[in-house]
Amino acid sequence: MNKMLHQGLILTSQREYAQAMRLGLLGLGNEETRVDVEMDALRAMQLVPQQYDLILLDTLLDSMDGLQLLLLLKQQAPATKFIIVSDSPDETSRAHAYQNGADFFLERPRMPEVFRTAFDAIRGLLVRHLDGKASPDGQNGATSSLADIVQTRCLSGDSVLLLVRSKSQSGDIFIFRGEVHHAQYPGKSGEAAFYDMMHWDGGHLRIRELKLSHTPPRTIEIPYRELLDAAEKSGALDAGLRPPTGELLVVSGDMPSETAVPSVVLEAPPRGEEEADVPEVARTSELPVANETPIPAVNSHWKINLMGELVEGSQIAEPARSAFITYFIYRKLADVAVTLEVDYFTNLTLFGPHLQQVLVADNMGVRHAVFETAWTTENLRNQYVQWACEQSF
Amino acid sequence: MNKAFEQIALIEGIIAAAFVSEEGKLLGWCSNSAISQDALKFVSETCRVILSANRAEQRSAETGIVAFGNRTLVFREGAAGIFMAYLDSPTNDAVLNWLWEQVNPLLEAEGIKLNIAAPESA
Repeated sequence: MNKMLHQGLILTSQREYAQAMRLGLLGLGNEETRVDVEMDALRAMQLVPQQYDLILLDTLLDSMDGLQLLLLLKQQAPATKFIIVSDSPDETSRAHAYQNGADFFLERPRMPEVFRTAFDAIRGLLVRHLDGKASPDGQNGATSSLADIVQTRCLSGDSVLLLVRSKSQSGDIFIFRGEVHHAQYPGKSGEAAFYDMMHWDGGHLRIRELKLSHTPPRTIEIPYRELLDAAEKSGALDAGLRPPTGELLVVSGDMPSETAVPSVVLEAPPRGEEEADVPEVARTSELPVANETPIPAVNSHWKINLMGELVEGSQIAEPARSAFITYFIYRKLADVAVTLEVDYFTNLTLFGPHLQQVLVADNMGVRHAVFETAWTTENLRNQYVQWACEQSF
Repeated sequence: MNKAFEQIALIEGIIAAAFVSEEGKLLGWCSNSAISQDALKFVSETCRVILSANRAEQRSAETGIVAFGNRTLVFREGAAGIFMAYLDSPTNDAVLNWLWEQVNPLLEAEGIKLNIAAPESA
């Protein structure tokens, strides 16, 4: 498959930028590639946008609001990829751009190295675009380069959750405001999980993107560029230099993953395929006991995922409200953790005159139990924490 | 209030502590680390919001204990405001009872009485 740019359009009122960008875009194609530059928005409206694979559009044009023009052009050419270029990116214009159909929001590059990074990101966008054209269902049929998507989203300053699936595993990468904050898959989290995921199935994976509306846990502190470089190097090590220590999970579809040694204890079990798509509440009267600790008697208990969705529970009077309050507490304690410069909370106990509550967090969600104060003991609360941790394996 | 917090700072395991009034004023604080007054106030206010949200859900609580790995944040709300202590160790009920035994007399000497409606254990 030819994954190159065939025809592009740059809509801008800045001549020098247009020339530099045009040269760069031509480098993403071959000798037949054409990149047009249009500096008059009214003339641009007379063009046929469907002919272009890619249109770069400034937020501010001389005679028209670029975001309004985007809305018009996207309606005419829904298959074309649109990149909005802004001199002063802020959350409002970013949100407006995506709302109007932008595929990518780019701060105008000014330095040569930033141009290079921007072209890398655009190349990634095109690769996904053309892969998607090859298979109408980009989510299920085609695979994408995880590195390209991470770079694109980080460069764009986005906040997204990437649901990553290989042939044998699934995991999540949390990108918040253009930096990778957290990565996780069953058995591992943080940088180690990120590096592993980058090499699942050779780095070409089925990826689903969800908009992230909250601050995710932060287990990865290094800038995304260093992270991607390190991931690339770790791949080289995996290819021949790293001795088999048993620390890395086996990700081949032919090999069972029980040969791996989980390095993080507070993790959730692998999710089913359908669970990632449509979280459903399992209204069980008694949740299954994974290991030895039985669940203590509780008034009610439930679990939310990191998106605040109720994923299971028992005897919940108002599921939506219960999930909301758990998520609310989780978010508030995330703020506290950031302020105190510590990792996310592992558990919270609230003591009241009539009720006591225990929340247990892991990298996949938060469990919340409500006890009667009159008969609750420290042992019972500890038993719940123990049980919750065992469920997380 | 400064005198009370000078003493609270000496309690074993305490990294920082603060008392924030109902009106949101930081009436007393101490810190053995780089945690700023603003940070202490923010944490206290956030804890108060958590308690308030639970009251709205008919699950009222006055005391909270949050484990951040090996560190623990303890907070307790009274009529006059909210007290928080940040400890450099995990805790259990015995440790908490011991902590309140140290802190309560110091705060009461300043005219502040925290709610102790909830028994830590039945």
